[in-house]
Amino acid sequence: MSDERKRQVDAVRRHIGEVENDLVDELVAGRIDRREFVRRGTVLGLSLSSLGVLAGCASPDVTRVSPPQTKPPKPGGTIRAGIVAPAAALDPIMISDEGGLAVLGQTAQYLVWSDKHLNLLPVLAESWSHDHTGTVWTFKIRQGVTFSDGTPMSAEDVAATFNRLADPAVGSNALSNFDGVLSKGNTKAIDPYTVQFTLDAPNGNFPYLVSSDNYNSVVLPKNYNGGWDKTFLGTGPWKLQSFTPNQGVTYVRNPRYWGTPANAERSELTFYSEEQAQTLGILGNQVDVVAHYSVSGGRALITNPDIRTTQFRSSSHRQIHMRTDKEPFVDKRVRQAMGLLLDRRALVNGLLATKSDYGNDSPFAPVFQSTNPSVAQRQRNVALAKQLLQAAGKGGGFSTQLLTLTHFELPDLAQVVQNNVSVAGINLKLSILDPGTYYGSSKFGTSPWLDSTMGITDYGHRGVPNLLLTAPLSSKGPWNAAHFKNPQYDRLVARYVAALDLGAQRAAAGQIQELLLDETPVMFPYFYYFLTGARLNVSGVETTAMGHINLSRAGFVA
Amino acid sequence: MTRFIAKRLGLGLITLWLLSVLVFFGTQILPGDVARRILGPFATQSAVNALNHQLGTDKSVFVQYWDWISGIFHGNLGTSVATRTSVSSIVFPALWHSAKLAILAFIIVVPLGILGGVLAALNEGRFRDRFISVGGLSATTVPEFVWAVALILVFALWLGLLPSTATAPPGSGFFSQVEYLVLPALCLVFVLFGYIARMARAGTIESLDADYTRTAVIKGLPYRTVVRRHVLRNSLLPTIAVVATQAGYLIGGLVAIELVFNYQGIGQVLYRAATQKDFPVLQSAVLIVGVVYLVATLLADLAYSLLNPRLRFESAA
Repeated sequence: MSDERKRQVDAVRRHIGEVENDLVDELVAGRIDRREFVRRGTVLGLSLSSLGVLAGCASPDVTRVSPPQTKPPKPGGTIRAGIVAPAAALDPIMISDEGGLAVLGQTAQYLVWSDKHLNLLPVLAESWSHDHTGTVWTFKIRQGVTFSDGTPMSAEDVAATFNRLADPAVGSNALSNFDGVLSKGNTKAIDPYTVQFTLDAPNGNFPYLVSSDNYNSVVLPKNYNGGWDKTFLGTGPWKLQSFTPNQGVTYVRNPRYWGTPANAERSELTFYSEEQAQTLGILGNQVDVVAHYSVSGGRALITNPDIRTTQFRSSSHRQIHMRTDKEPFVDKRVRQAMGLLLDRRALVNGLLATKSDYGNDSPFAPVFQSTNPSVAQRQRNVALAKQLLQAAGKGGGFSTQLLTLTHFELPDLAQVVQNNVSVAGINLKLSILDPGTYYGSSKFGTSPWLDSTMGITDYGHRGVPNLLLTAPLSSKGPWNAAHFKNPQYDRLVARYVAALDLGAQRAAAGQIQELLLDETPVMFPYFYYFLTGARLNVSGVETTAMGHINLSRAGFVA
Repeated sequence: MTRFIAKRLGLGLITLWLLSVLVFFGTQILPGDVARRILGPFATQSAVNALNHQLGTDKSVFVQYWDWISGIFHGNLGTSVATRTSVSSIVFPALWHSAKLAILAFIIVVPLGILGGVLAALNEGRFRDRFISVGGLSATTVPEFVWAVALILVFALWLGLLPSTATAPPGSGFFSQVEYLVLPALCLVFVLFGYIARMARAGTIESLDADYTRTAVIKGLPYRTVVRRHVLRNSLLPTIAVVATQAGYLIGGLVAIELVFNYQGIGQVLYRAATQKDFPVLQSAVLIVGVVYLVATLLADLAYSLLNPRLRFESAA
């Protein structure tokens, strides 16, 4: 390192906090690479220029837009994207589905954008910082931003947005993220361009909860009182041109947009109720892009020479829960045996056409920075599984029911699991339900999902594992279908959630991963990739594993 | 005739009321709850309770039924719980979409089916008969979504002649809309042709064997005149009944075709409402499809009586 570089680094280090300096030490010691350093640095609120200096490179790879997929697009034209049809009313507070959030993200914006690599990038927030405990987070709000109706945006709008989302009486869909993290009234506008969040407990990943990962958290005017689907009000690069319920939306450039104007003149979102229709839509040139497709429904796109698929890791996965309080899974050796019988390689190669990471029976997906890579991957080992079953008194096998729902590849996964475990004499009787029946009331006692002895459930992407560690696995978790109660696990998770520096997070994560491998209340067979398809003449489309599609830089190449 | 129509209308209204009761209470036994369905399985219970209260879905089913049925009498079909828009704004555009597709399919398949059936009957036992009968039956037995995918593959993806979707861009003209509807309409033609042709064939063969046909031939009428004036008129009677019952199917039963072609017809509205537990939309859409069935059968009865002098004279007497 040159003297000049050293002076620059020292200057930056003097102005950053203890946790941020620890992160720099991790980088210097080689325990994390530059990409991991940049990602964690964005969470802690380090500016891009500081990250550039500290990472030893002039411009880190954390631009607002993904690296170009082909040549830069020409300005103008109409970019047409196919998305899954929104499942419910287009109300930013209530939206709970991929189609809804894709529509929301065209005109409305977040404080922070969580990109496909889970870097946090400033949007309506210019910078953020935290106190030494990680309980108080302060966000500086961008100046000169107006809503598409001309109203200026201020810190009061931001505070009102988050107090509304955290209010149980409003019933926002973001409550599951804010439960135990942020309470109503604890978001305050300190001055016209500063907002302070005082959390219920320390949280080292809080910026993800005000980012696009918490998709309901778009900033709305403080006096917002419903009716968003009439205006599509927001601060984003597009504004509404026309909306036909159940069919689609068209947008034009927002002349009041604070940032770089959208590249295309117009954009269109077409809603598809069926993935097959969406696949035929892009193949038949009815749309230029499909925001998201699955291997099970869009296999024809993977190998089609006219379609370019962009893929990246996500934390979307399936959980196979086993009731730890009910036979035949009370003995953890039986659950371990189930995990050892699972042929993950065959699942990833067969069901998912290799578009997936292996799961290691914990929510720590390879995409998460805090996942501890030193924990060994569980492999199929039929002999060991049989030994464990023998020791648990189940050497002759057993019979139980496996419940799942009709959703993408889940019925196929259930069949493969049934086949995998049959070699040890285990007879799984499959029961495939429609989603409404499977989830029922989502309350213990009246939900096949939460009451079944064994079941397979789909879980969407999250930017950080916090919710996946608590809701489905902690002793009081509302989605704890395995009925797993382990005080040691709860303590470890609390430690992990509160940890601010990456080293402490990884240390806690490693212990959680080992504990879950030992207990195996839930099997996590894989974390599948997010796939986006675009015609070859399209460039600049950015998607996230959450299901956002950013068309503001998209267009057609010559 | 007036009495006949009044009687049919009265029966129709009773049928619709029974349908309203059945569909309302039938939908109530679907598993899950409305707000949970809208917010998803991972929403907090307090959010679910708040939304159920906002939507009124926490009231008793009888109160909800009364709210709904009294609204209908006031011309208000209610509000969709899923999209928070009026049910009318969802159901009637979808009905119009379905009607457009049904009309185009009818315009193609009814004359083709009748022509095919009559041709087969006039050539009974010969190659033409076998070709039309076996070909029509084979086409009918192939599920409509298979036809849909096959036609898209050939005409949209390989040949690039027609769009792979049925929804024309906003502001499209008449011919453009027809272009977008050709492929789904062809699916229906394949599915319905064999059925209509079989009925027309059977009716024609029966008429050809009838005494009045023999008499007409014996008294020296030209064969074409016999077929046109005596055979066709009688042979079409059962075909009309078949065509009328297909009207209801064409309006409300095209879920698979509408899904494959991404067409916002009433079938897709029904499907989505059922999966989302959007009861106000589901109930009203079913009622409207019921009305379509009733009107179609009523029109068929009227056409039947116009073509059948015996019925006309009986009602006149």
